[in-house]
Amino acid sequence: MIRTAISQLMGLRPSGGLLTQVRDKGHLSRPRLRNPQWFLRKEVTNRGDLVTAENKHFINDLVHEGFGAPALIKGVQTYEQNLIKTRDLATPPQTWTPQIRRCGVIARKIGQYPLWLKNGERIRTTLLQIVDNHVIKYIPPEEYVPKPLPGQRDSAANHKRGVLIVGSESTNPVQLTKEYSGIFKDSGVVPKKNLARFFVSPEAALVPGTPLNASHFRVGDFVDVRGKTVDHGFQGVVKRHGFKGMPASHGVTKTHRRAGNIGGGGEKGRVWPGTKMPGHMGNRWRVIRGLRIWRINSKYNVMWVQGSAVAGPTNGLVYIYDTILPLRKNQEAPPFPTSYEDSSEDVWYEKVHNFKDESIIYEKE
Amino acid sequence: MSAATKLHKTSWCALRQLQQYRTKATLSGSSASIAKRNDLFNQEQRRQRDAVGRIDKIEVRYLGLPEDVTLVMNSNISTPYNCAQHLSEGHCKRSALALIDGSVPWDMHRPLQESCTLQLLNFHVSEPHPVNKAFWRTCSFMLGAALNRAFKPEAGLQLHSFPGPNIKSGSFVHDIVLQTQNWQPTKEEMRAISAEMVKLAAQDLRIERLDVQQDLAQEMFKDSKYKSEQLPSIAQQTQGRVTLYRLGDHIDISRGPMVGSTSFLGKCTISAAHKVAEEGAAGAFYRIQGVALPSGFQLNHVAFGVLEERSKKPYHPPRPKTKGKDKRHSDPRSTSSS
Repeated sequence: MIRTAISQLMGLRPSGGLLTQVRDKGHLSRPRLRNPQWFLRKEVTNRGDLVTAENKHFINDLVHEGFGAPALIKGVQTYEQNLIKTRDLATPPQTWTPQIRRCGVIARKIGQYPLWLKNGERIRTTLLQIVDNHVIKYIPPEEYVPKPLPGQRDSAANHKRGVLIVGSESTNPVQLTKEYSGIFKDSGVVPKKNLARFFVSPEAALVPGTPLNASHFRVGDFVDVRGKTVDHGFQGVVKRHGFKGMPASHGVTKTHRRAGNIGGGGEKGRVWPGTKMPGHMGNRWRVIRGLRIWRINSKYNVMWVQGSAVAGPTNGLVYIYDTILPLRKNQEAPPFPTSYEDSSEDVWYEKVHNFKDESIIYEKE
Repeated sequence: MSAATKLHKTSWCALRQLQQYRTKATLSGSSASIAKRNDLFNQEQRRQRDAVGRIDKIEVRYLGLPEDVTLVMNSNISTPYNCAQHLSEGHCKRSALALIDGSVPWDMHRPLQESCTLQLLNFHVSEPHPVNKAFWRTCSFMLGAALNRAFKPEAGLQLHSFPGPNIKSGSFVHDIVLQTQNWQPTKEEMRAISAEMVKLAAQDLRIERLDVQQDLAQEMFKDSKYKSEQLPSIAQQTQGRVTLYRLGDHIDISRGPMVGSTSFLGKCTISAAHKVAEEGAAGAFYRIQGVALPSGFQLNHVAFGVLEERSKKPYHPPRPKTKGKDKRHSDPRSTSSS
């Protein structure tokens, strides 16, 4: 009993004498006790405005007046808002400590590409583009108290961090509801398509309107990337759980990709809870920890992170955080609370071979 | 704030009629005087109906969709709404105003007198100016009813009048007198008044018209100081007859045609209340302004926000062309021209 309890807690299941990973939902179904502030109807069902074309242009002009002309900034269609917010000059500058948690960013996974290290090793990297992020709101820890999970007590740890609401990808407010646009009224930022919460230490609070760029991170740093896995829909056991299935021929009747036996007999003669069966696969939140950033391009706000295991399809949303892995955490201060620079450079990690450099030359002997 | 669900949508005509004519609101004015006014209105309505005598037939030539037809209706009894009932339910619901002989705007519930051509106007016709004006005027009228419901008796609200519709100004207007000289309306109060307007629209109250003699009108409005003062000059312009409109329990004096029912009000915002002048020792005139769209017109919040901002601008009606007559709309005090 204790052994099974421990292995369940570790996300492992004894199966055929070995411990195998259990990659279920990862938790019991629990109700959302407090929905995020932006759980409002977002888009208006447009049943056809009877507005004349002239008036539509007028409204668009007003929107451009308020938020700036539409422009392609860092490869993303957005508005030319002059929201260059430096740090809050009223508060004194904070010094970074390793315990402080900084804000994260919202990005899109735009593809994968190989990079070569200087020792010749080829690595797979995923490109993540930080699309038009702006801080929308900061809620101090006193005001934001998440309700503790059922069965757990409220602890002091829940009251230490504030919340930064960050938005990505600007939209025309004409297509949105008034309630959703109201979220952006105070900060004056153009309404965004996507919103996210980041729990931050109060020292790392940012002023609403601050842009977040790829320079928020540095090359060589490690990040955790959270995304929703590709939705495979209803899948059978072979794809879903990696079962071997049965031979295609040699007398096998009507059983090629089925699960086979699902349990034993005797006193416990029933199908055990958690038995692997066909079902819905994918569309789950997964966080992959400790990915190194190999390269950052500030012209298009793209970063190359290690590996090809970032959850989600191409052009899917991901959320990037500073890593929590103890051996890969920042030892020295990162741009804190964020980098306020706006550059166009392409920075490569020292171990990575820059494509613009000369290729590897072998000395003549 | 789109057209809310019709609360009294039943298939029983009698019940619906009853509920159209009555309201369940508590009124800030004296309930007894309101009840008396409504009694007199009902009596006069019945008297005028009985006075028709022999029912003459008239030919009403309806021009429009689905096809031009000739209807035989009763003179001084049948209304354009009755003609629409001969056409379809859609015509009844959609028609806001009637146009007689191609030029005369006519209330939907006003009896037709002689043979004529009839057009039923809705808000989507190619020439919407008469309907738009009638709609704007109706909004001012409904605003009076909404203010009666919104204010507590302690406020000492008295409705003064509302000027003619001026859509280009950006707002419809109603002038009132309150027994306070420093009322700064808060956003919540404005929202409450807007909510009263939407409630009136949801009740789908019919707007009835009645032409009365000046002395009956004086009798009906004897409790209202400002209406009593205005009636002589109004009657003087219209040969001793005064046009009254009723909406639920609220009765007011107005010249022009109104739309057929409150259900035509869609999105509505009462945006501002400007103090115009002081009245007496403790009172003051306030001009309440708002903007509205007919029901069925969808507009994004950015565009409607622009309309709301525009409607907050203080409204000064254009100076009347004839000096000395009917100054009441330009300045509530009617002692000096604005």
